[in-house]
Amino acid sequence: MKKVLALLLAMTMAFSLTACGAKEEGNPAPAEGGEGTEAPAEAEGGDEAAPAGKGYKAALLLNGNLGDKSFYDSANAGLTRLKEELGADVFDFKVEQMGGTDQDQPKWEPTLLDYCDSGEYDVIIMGTWQMADPLAKAAAEYPDQKFMFFDEQFDFAGNGDPQNIYNILYKQNEVSYLIGAAAAMMTTDASIEGIDPATKKIGFLGGMDNAVINDFLKGYEQGAHDIDPDIEVVTAWVGDFVNSATGKELALAQYQNGVDVGYNVAGNAGLGQIEAAGDTGLYAFGVDSDQAALLPDYADRIPTSALKNVGNSLYRAIKLDLEGQLTYGTTEVLGFAEGGVEIVKDAHYEEMLPENIRTKLEELEKDIIDGKIVVDTAIER
Amino acid sequence: MLESLLSPEFFNAILRATTPILFAALASSVASKAGITNMALEGIMLFSALFGVIFSAMTGNFFTGLLLTMVIGGLIGWFLAFFVLNLKTDEILAAVAINLIATGGTVLLMLAVSGDRGSSTSIASFSAPRIVIPLIDKIPFLGEIISGQNLMTYLAILAVIIMHLFMYKTPLGLKIRAVGENKNAAESVGISSRKIQYIALILSGVLASMGGFFMSGGYMNMFTKDMSAGRGYIALAASAMGGNTPIGASLVSLLFGAAQALANMMQLTDIPHELIQMIPYLTTLIGLGVYSYSNMKRRQKLAGK
Repeated sequence: MKKVLALLLAMTMAFSLTACGAKEEGNPAPAEGGEGTEAPAEAEGGDEAAPAGKGYKAALLLNGNLGDKSFYDSANAGLTRLKEELGADVFDFKVEQMGGTDQDQPKWEPTLLDYCDSGEYDVIIMGTWQMADPLAKAAAEYPDQKFMFFDEQFDFAGNGDPQNIYNILYKQNEVSYLIGAAAAMMTTDASIEGIDPATKKIGFLGGMDNAVINDFLKGYEQGAHDIDPDIEVVTAWVGDFVNSATGKELALAQYQNGVDVGYNVAGNAGLGQIEAAGDTGLYAFGVDSDQAALLPDYADRIPTSALKNVGNSLYRAIKLDLEGQLTYGTTEVLGFAEGGVEIVKDAHYEEMLPENIRTKLEELEKDIIDGKIVVDTAIER
Repeated sequence: MLESLLSPEFFNAILRATTPILFAALASSVASKAGITNMALEGIMLFSALFGVIFSAMTGNFFTGLLLTMVIGGLIGWFLAFFVLNLKTDEILAAVAINLIATGGTVLLMLAVSGDRGSSTSIASFSAPRIVIPLIDKIPFLGEIISGQNLMTYLAILAVIIMHLFMYKTPLGLKIRAVGENKNAAESVGISSRKIQYIALILSGVLASMGGFFMSGGYMNMFTKDMSAGRGYIALAASAMGGNTPIGASLVSLLFGAAQALANMMQLTDIPHELIQMIPYLTTLIGLGVYSYSNMKRRQKLAGK
């Protein structure tokens, strides 16, 4: 019994010693008495060479991991670009990968509060709807800490109107408008291989029926109907963002019933639609990352992808902040005009879409930027 | 809509949706017959889906990939058995641990192997082929259903027959059932219940791993994060409703597969998708209700009421 007790004590001590190390891995150290509270401050200064002087420091808290080839990588790329441009002594940042699974969720809020507590960062950046509640709490508790929050509307009115949050949203409806227009033009274009111009149906595969995904859908429908009011938009919902096999079944059902072109807005489940397009020899538009580049086996089924450029938007926001031009306490919705959204236009895109479609898309994009086309939204702003 | 329901594509969709559930339901039935609830099916399937991709890419063909994946499935089954039988862990807790490890572990492994976190797109894996049966594929309608399925679907049907014969016509099958029925009675006639339960759990792991392999090497052609998406749990229900017999479990799996395929097809209509997405679960509830009602009737009959 004594041995066991001694062993336990030794382990506890060893654990509290490693607490600082664990911090950097993204595991918030269990606060064990005195040591726990010291840990964050120590950890931050620890391994990274601290920037000389008092440069602008940002912390990027990801409720997920780098390597998603989407939002988080984009955010990291944008900040890296800014750091390279300005130099590490003017701007530096740290990425904290908190993990994105249900099991990781309990540590998001403590990690955020630890970062606020350290007081070392000019701004703490995070995104997606799952971080909204932890952020609301942190913003109220640390009124002097500045935050940037992307890809989900922050409820300013419902949280005592905090003046330390800058909220970035993306006009996914604008970029989806272009995709919808492209899909509508493709489905009636007999010159594209595999297309049956007789059936005027285009598909949409959504993950969960929430406001953001519906905003995608709304733009997509409007874009399609502006090209041809007779186009039917067939929608299907997976019910989550992971069930790729069900996503594939839903997409197959669409393709087998006259849909020629689809648009997947369903996270990993959306990969099912792309596979279904591969199986049927039809087409699917990508989302959130350049899926044609990401999925070389299916590249010839993916004309282009709709992107939210999180990196661009953070780059822009921090630059504005450095110049003193950024207003905290507000929400900005970035569309084509601000470089917040885009569709992939590379050699692959030019190869897959006929010139008349591409020219039309350029025109439409310009009309959106000029305000000649106003795209409907599913989100009340 | 009706037209789509009567098309061969719909029946193909049913078989596709049924296959992974069927393997896992067989896995659950053999474990249950040996007296252990194998809750770890979900985790085993998820691990196998990833290992299927990795092994088939490493060895250059799907078949060795499948065999190695089955070994992994067996190992996880052994692992579970070790914890439950040797270390006396609660079988549900050990299984939950395996499922949780699978969620994070597969992503970690995928990252280590391919540098991806969401899906295994950069691993050039090989899937089980679709089998076209000559002559039969010429039969109108039926031919399109009987022929042209994925190899794993045929293996699943074969597995039902083999498992039925194994459980009811072989000495080992009898021993498994005896241990599950009454461990002490079985031991009193010299059967090592621990050995038998080890065998049953390893077999259960192997069967579940075949279902997992199909997920990423047949149903889809890549691994995506959390792709088993609850199929292991659905299979547990299917097995229980089917009375934990191979035939019963497979029939209920087919019912669940049909419900899922119907729900998918119905999304083409204007019916609100929230209602449609209830269909598979509603089927489960109704099925369980019918099952327990008929059980109750039988018991009443036996009691002579």
